[in-house]
Amino acid sequence: MAFAAPETPSRVHRIPQSKYIDAVRWLSPVSALDRFAAVAYYDTDTNSPSIEIICVDPNPQGSSPTLTPQSSWTPPSRISSLKTAHSTHQPILAAATFSGSIHILAPDLINGGTVESEATVSELGFHSGPVSAVDLREGGTECVSVGEDGRVNLVSFVGDSSNLNYRRIFDANGLVGYTAVKWASPSEFATGGYGFGLQWWDQRRPGGPVSQFKGNWCQGKTSGIVHSIDIHPSRKHTCLAGGSSGTVFAWDLRAQQQPIVLSGAGTGEAPISLLSESEVWEVQYDCYTRSSNIGNITSTRILPIMICSEDGILAVIEQGEEPLELLAEPCAINSFDIDQQNPSDVICSLEWESIAILTRS
Amino acid sequence: MVLLIRVSGGDLLDGGVHVDDDADLDTRWCCEVGAAVYPFHHGLKSPISRLSISWSRGNSLRVSVFAAPSSVESVEDDAGGTVVEVKLGGGDGEISDAHWRRIAYGSVSPFALLQSRKNAISSLSKMSMNSSPYDADWWDYIMEYSKDINALLGSQKPASVPVIDDPKSVIVKGEEPTNLKAAWELLEMFYAEKPSHLCLPERLVDWLADFDSLFSGTHPTVHSKLVDFQKELVNLQVVEDNPKYWEVMSSALAVGWLDIVVKMLRLHGSYQLDQLSNRETENGLVEAVAVLISKMPRMRLDQEAGKLGECFKAKPDFVKAREKWRAQINKLDSSAFWFQCAHLQTREGLRSMLQIMLGNANSLCSATCHWIELYISHLLYIRPLTVGLESMYSLAQKSIQLKPMASAHRLMGLIIGILGENTEVVLAECLKGFGPWMVVHAIELLTAGSDHAEMLLLEERPNLGGINIEELHRLVYAQVLSSHPLTWQIAPIYLISCMKHGMVLLQILLSKQPVQHNQLLLKSIEICRLYELHSITANIMKIAGVHHWKHGRKGSGVFWLQQARDEYRLNRIAQQLFDSVGKTISDESFKQWEGLIQLLGSDSKTAGGLEFLHKYRDFKKSLQHVFDGKTTDAARRAVESLISLMKNPSTPQRFYLPLLYDSLKLLNWKDRPLLNVSQTNLLLTKLQDLSLARLRPDFIESELPPQALNSVRLALATNLGRAILEE
Repeated sequence: MAFAAPETPSRVHRIPQSKYIDAVRWLSPVSALDRFAAVAYYDTDTNSPSIEIICVDPNPQGSSPTLTPQSSWTPPSRISSLKTAHSTHQPILAAATFSGSIHILAPDLINGGTVESEATVSELGFHSGPVSAVDLREGGTECVSVGEDGRVNLVSFVGDSSNLNYRRIFDANGLVGYTAVKWASPSEFATGGYGFGLQWWDQRRPGGPVSQFKGNWCQGKTSGIVHSIDIHPSRKHTCLAGGSSGTVFAWDLRAQQQPIVLSGAGTGEAPISLLSESEVWEVQYDCYTRSSNIGNITSTRILPIMICSEDGILAVIEQGEEPLELLAEPCAINSFDIDQQNPSDVICSLEWESIAILTRS
Repeated sequence: MVLLIRVSGGDLLDGGVHVDDDADLDTRWCCEVGAAVYPFHHGLKSPISRLSISWSRGNSLRVSVFAAPSSVESVEDDAGGTVVEVKLGGGDGEISDAHWRRIAYGSVSPFALLQSRKNAISSLSKMSMNSSPYDADWWDYIMEYSKDINALLGSQKPASVPVIDDPKSVIVKGEEPTNLKAAWELLEMFYAEKPSHLCLPERLVDWLADFDSLFSGTHPTVHSKLVDFQKELVNLQVVEDNPKYWEVMSSALAVGWLDIVVKMLRLHGSYQLDQLSNRETENGLVEAVAVLISKMPRMRLDQEAGKLGECFKAKPDFVKAREKWRAQINKLDSSAFWFQCAHLQTREGLRSMLQIMLGNANSLCSATCHWIELYISHLLYIRPLTVGLESMYSLAQKSIQLKPMASAHRLMGLIIGILGENTEVVLAECLKGFGPWMVVHAIELLTAGSDHAEMLLLEERPNLGGINIEELHRLVYAQVLSSHPLTWQIAPIYLISCMKHGMVLLQILLSKQPVQHNQLLLKSIEICRLYELHSITANIMKIAGVHHWKHGRKGSGVFWLQQARDEYRLNRIAQQLFDSVGKTISDESFKQWEGLIQLLGSDSKTAGGLEFLHKYRDFKKSLQHVFDGKTTDAARRAVESLISLMKNPSTPQRFYLPLLYDSLKLLNWKDRPLLNVSQTNLLLTKLQDLSLARLRPDFIESELPPQALNSVRLALATNLGRAILEE
């Protein structure tokens, strides 16, 4: 199918890394000049994972951007999920590992990016098996972690203490596995899992999810897994999810069991644009809107979103419009992050051991 | 293969084991047979009793070292054994593993594009029965492919051009050239650029200018002479007094690096303003030679900016210009000015340069260092119109005779193979010198225009199991890719281009991928989807399902088995699941089950035996309503659920009694009997089945009070009576 071509082409730079990249995140800048990103690497030659803080110089003397490693920290195993909190005075990173631990890192960007304080939860029984997703609450004092073991844990950390306390919110004993999580408000968060199922949790009403979005809504068609969730701070009632078979859908809590399918496996009504047929690894609301039409978007309409997929697509989807393809790589785009301060810039990790930096104009 | 392992322990005093105690001996032995020693430390303190060696992923050996059973006094934390991975082969010295991977990734798209174009052309030619399958487009495609691959191997352009030109920097340092790029450019020149064969000599001159430094390691070269002289140059006051100045210039001129020679000539002391007046004739001669060099006619299509020489595209023009140019040299050579030139070195140096330009074979031979340089100088100054590989080959043979190879170099072997038109030698040199990546991608160029090579490489060979050489090398390369956890994903591109064995190997490759992590699993499934390998998809999903199930992730397990539509395994795990259902699906833990039941959905086909859970949940829910309020409507719905559960063949027998016991309240409903006669009879029959089933040895008794059966019987009997009365 034909995609809408961007009016002005964006600049893309691919920077080979010689290590596999498990995740990339922008860090909120501390000064106007320097821009930093956190990258979770995995070196297959030495079997060693690392989290590196890199300084991104987007335009040194008009040539392609350069990435300068500032500091490195070695986690006990590969990173399964990496998140940042933005509204803190110092950037905070939450990293979850395949060995079932969570690490809170606070890189000191002013003094060379060294990873300053570090706190860890890795007790036996925290998670059995890998932590599949983690999310930091804005303000950065709590994070929630989920796993395929069905455990939902709340980790709270205050100040510099290296001992983290965690509280088990729920344990599904493996009967349900969770693969994605995202905070909605200080007390609410959403999780996603198998069969395109979503769950809404409220800490004020413990004992289980307060609301469940029924999985298997695309009956007859192959079901899938939710890989990523995003919730816009201004629309906490809408939970955006991306997953298998190119599926991107939104769950409006006010219309409980009716998904708003934005791409992929449709409910069989209107022909829904099929952007990609493979896994959508990450979804994020795209705060970079062209032509200031944000005022026109009513509260029932879904805000523009960006997705990346296994078949190498990075695209922006707007409800009811042709998707805008930003990148079409020959290999998978495994994760991306939109710079919150500078939303025209997107950093992506590519399957073929490279990082792409995209600047929209 | 003989494997000699020399094990050195962590602590020698405590008895690290040496398989071979004499270190000198094994090193010498290894050198003789050309083996390599891979020392490693196992860190075990106690003596070693056993070694086990197996292949690990890729080029690694997995060596398991077992300690001897420890004696009583051994420390507790002493490990009983350890596993060490030993990586064999240092790979290519000049290209790191990561760089090789980058090349492998980058060559996927050009290769795939060329394959699809080839397929399109061959299907087109089949349709139209066109006599020539290759048209003009074909050469464009080949050239595009070659350029794409070439671009991956690094750029030859200098990193940055200095703003102020340093007159004393003779050679510009660019990116370090690699043998791999040099080899690819050779192949491109000879196999992809068919139409420009007339300009081949000049292309070779350019090639040597770019890559002469590669020979410096094993041979003396003009490049290394220049580099050495460059170091001396800074300290030289009167450059023309140094014999090396003239020697280096002659050498550079012999291999055609005109701009370097002219730049060096201009360093001549006679150009200095204070000397210009009393060395006028000398300066005139130097300048005349410099002008002649920069006017040298060259047979080439295009000229890079800044390069010297006059280009000619047509042969007659070139011949005419060359004759004129040689006449000018001869005239200068026999001029009377030489006697007025007082500086001996200048006079001798300049005249020997003229001899080189005139093609004096002896001068060329003494000015060049190795046979390729000599060969190039012959092509430039003696036989610039050499056409055809045959004559080029005989010229090369002559050069080798004059300057025999002291040691073999992989690029030299490749050149000889190419000039000798010996496809086997070219392939063998590619494989030996540059590995399987090179062979697979070079075959595309080798077969591009040569029918002979195409026949040789595409002929099916019984001794290779019926496959052709092209497929053999693709399979080998795919194996290399498959052995690495990051590159296995691109192996399918090469496997599907193999007609005979590719698909089977692809299926094996996909079936062997790890399934533990969803991301990797989904990447495998995506490849299956692309190549429509639905049975492999189902198999992978089944393996994943069982893996997750075994590790306690029941939800994930059920999901994958459902995706695989594996009713057999779903039914099997259902039995295990029911064991825990009876105990835990009480009202308290209902929330845990809720998610799983939702996942199962209502479609009985994908749920297998687990469909029961769904109905059981519905029944429990409606029963809950009955206990909360006491409406007869709710009770009726509960009864319907109960009957449909009891009717359903997928309901396990061991649930009959608990179900009925749970619904005692319904059976003893106060207002009126809720079950009619036939429904009650059905339940009684099921109860009868149950008592028969209890006699079987594998029956699992449910945990209910002992009087449960009797109370259910009584309730059913009462209900039957009431129902008969009502009807």
